[in-house]
Amino acid sequence: MNKGAPKIPESGRMRRIIKNRAIYLMILPGFLYFLIFKYIPMSGLIIAFQDYQAYLGVTGSPWVGLKHFERLFTEPMFFTILGNTLLLFFLNLAFYFPVPIILALMLNEVRREVFKRFIQTLVYIPHFMSWVIIVSISFVMLSMDRGIINELLVMAGFEKINFLMSSEWFRPMYVMQIIWREAGWGTIIYLAAMAAIDPGLYEASRIDGASRFRQMWHITLPSIRSVIVVLLILKIGDVLELGFEHIYLLLNSMNRNVAEIFDTYVYTAGLKQGQFSFSTAVGFFKSLIGLILVMLANWLAKKAGEEGIY
Amino acid sequence: MKKNKASTILAIVTALSVLAGCGGNSAPAATGSSNGSPAQGENKSEPVTISIMANLHTPEVPSDMIEKLLEEKTGTKLDIQWVPDGTYDEKVNASFATGTLPQVTYLKNAASLVNMRDAIRNGQFWEIGPLLGQYPNLSKLKPEVLKNTAVDGKIYALYREVPLSRQGIIYRKDWADKLGLSAPTNVDEFYNMLKQFKEKDPDGNGKEDTIPLTDRNDLIYGAFKTISSWLGTPNNWGEKDGKLAPEFMFPEYMETMKFFKKLHQEGLINQDFPVTSKTDQQNLFITGKSGVYIGAMGDVSSLHPKVVEVNPDAELDVQNKIEGGPNGFGIWSVPGYGSVILFPKTAIKSEEELKDVLAFMDQLMSPELGNLIYWGVEGQHHKLEEGKVIPSEDTKLTDREVKPYQAMQVGGPLTIEGFYEPKHMLPVKAKSEEMITENNDYLIEDPSASLDSKTFNEKGVQLQEMIKDGTYQFMLGDIDEAGFQAVVDNWLKSGGQQIIDEFNVSYESSK
Repeated sequence: MNKGAPKIPESGRMRRIIKNRAIYLMILPGFLYFLIFKYIPMSGLIIAFQDYQAYLGVTGSPWVGLKHFERLFTEPMFFTILGNTLLLFFLNLAFYFPVPIILALMLNEVRREVFKRFIQTLVYIPHFMSWVIIVSISFVMLSMDRGIINELLVMAGFEKINFLMSSEWFRPMYVMQIIWREAGWGTIIYLAAMAAIDPGLYEASRIDGASRFRQMWHITLPSIRSVIVVLLILKIGDVLELGFEHIYLLLNSMNRNVAEIFDTYVYTAGLKQGQFSFSTAVGFFKSLIGLILVMLANWLAKKAGEEGIY
Repeated sequence: MKKNKASTILAIVTALSVLAGCGGNSAPAATGSSNGSPAQGENKSEPVTISIMANLHTPEVPSDMIEKLLEEKTGTKLDIQWVPDGTYDEKVNASFATGTLPQVTYLKNAASLVNMRDAIRNGQFWEIGPLLGQYPNLSKLKPEVLKNTAVDGKIYALYREVPLSRQGIIYRKDWADKLGLSAPTNVDEFYNMLKQFKEKDPDGNGKEDTIPLTDRNDLIYGAFKTISSWLGTPNNWGEKDGKLAPEFMFPEYMETMKFFKKLHQEGLINQDFPVTSKTDQQNLFITGKSGVYIGAMGDVSSLHPKVVEVNPDAELDVQNKIEGGPNGFGIWSVPGYGSVILFPKTAIKSEEELKDVLAFMDQLMSPELGNLIYWGVEGQHHKLEEGKVIPSEDTKLTDREVKPYQAMQVGGPLTIEGFYEPKHMLPVKAKSEEMITENNDYLIEDPSASLDSKTFNEKGVQLQEMIKDGTYQFMLGDIDEAGFQAVVDNWLKSGGQQIIDEFNVSYESSK
């Protein structure tokens, strides 16, 4: 132990806090926010281990150990739900995630400022529409009875396709709707990152005779690499947030085997039927998977030489 | 998480609006005690506050005009929480879980009551059966209906009366006349009507583009259950060899599914009916793309003006009594009540308080207030002619000021003496009312209405989803008879057999 070791005596630490009180005060609201709205509600997870009965409350309800988890794992739908949740997530990652990057790269190449702003506004708009509207629009377009898409198919000599009530079309429909709604909005962060790239790099490469495509490949993309990685990890953090509302609206008796996910299941089992403990257990399990995936992604990012998120 | 936030905001908004609402009402009128309710005899300086949660069937929050009148006439202060119909059950469940149910809680329907049975049994709600006799109006509620709402033979709920069976057909009479068809009286004639409506170009536009029957994603209030009772399927549960069994284990249920499969394959029904909303379903009918609508016959009064607006030559007619099974005509019925009203102990602390609340409910059921919440104010929302009501034609006004309060009705025409009868200016509406009464002679009742099964309370709803999925899959041709049998087997295995056994035990003991 030498002098000036990191260990600060109790009084010293207090003194430091008092000295920097302005900064600590600034942390306070954020700290309270997380405490009140994120951490205290977590104690509600307790009811996953109880047979929660509203009139007995958390303190009075009987403890049942892992009963609800056992029920979840033995539920006939369990593997279907787990599979659907993960598959939809990976489809989302594979097909949606790259789209905003590509779109941002393309927008970045638009040199006329007015034109660029115009396109940007245009692609942002769908983000402000609610899922109800988007799903309704696609129902009208894809309906078997009078849907324009099916009318066109018939005119072109094809059979009508049952988009809304078939297992095969649920996933493509889901991913397409996400791309349609979110791709434009997703470009914002990438465009901001691209704006921060030193123009000198482009100038230098032009002198060296790099084409527009080469510039994009060798300068723009590597410069936003860390942003991409951070966003990817964040995205994985939302793993199981596949958009409850969206899927719930698309879900029906005919596509349940591919469309039922944890969120919709929690909703039907929990709120509709009042099985609070069971649905809390399901939600708990879902969050655990999310946590594991985030840690995995972060670890991989660090291995790849990026900073990660923590 | 999202739900929580939304409800917090809702709670804040409600709290604010309640504050705002109370501001204007400073005069605690003493009229309440003059109505002769026993519990309100003594002079109270403070008006009693009654909190209520009610189902909102209109898109907008109602004006508080009727609420003010109610407060004035009963000498109470009302705190009404309006919850949109679409999320009503969830809101009740969530409020129940957090112990924030109001003093007067309206439950949506019989199924919601089943969900609450455990809580009721655990003493979360006041038993009101023994008290009802003390109230002049409440004592008029029908014992046989109250029995259907009972839990373990004890009465906890008041109820809102609804006609026992409103089901029937509404169809385009002008189309039928053009093709020389008369109203169908059996399933074959009905099928023939659909067929002709498809092939014979009833709308005369030279194209085969009509969708004869319009249906929606609802196996109960849509066409399915009604057609199933034409074919003789029991109502939810039926007796088979002296034992109760669920409807889908009867051959008639299979017949119904096959009938729908045929309709679907032949294009006699909208192809997307399992995902069609009620609005879209009605739109097909209103815009003249479709000519037959199965549901509540009373809907004809709201459909008629809209259909005529699109096509002035259109004529509508209603029809019931379609024969299909060996037992002649039959139609499924509800157990005599629509919504039920519970009184949570978390909100009502003492028996004294309960009596105050019941006294208020008793007044709601008086002819004066019963008519007020159902028909609104005379001269403003309706006219009286020969003692019958002619509702105002300004439906926007009545939708905003009266219709929402109808959800708060206690009892109904059969139990409130002096409840106004409507005078129908539209002949077809009058005919539909007659037919609704006529249905009473052919009811197929639900034998399980007053029975109880622990497993059914726990997972009945979830298990029913399985059957619902299977039924749709069969009708759309995704699975065959063996496939449906597999669904039923799975249902039995996942708890269905237990439900059957428990219902039968309960059935035996109730005999």
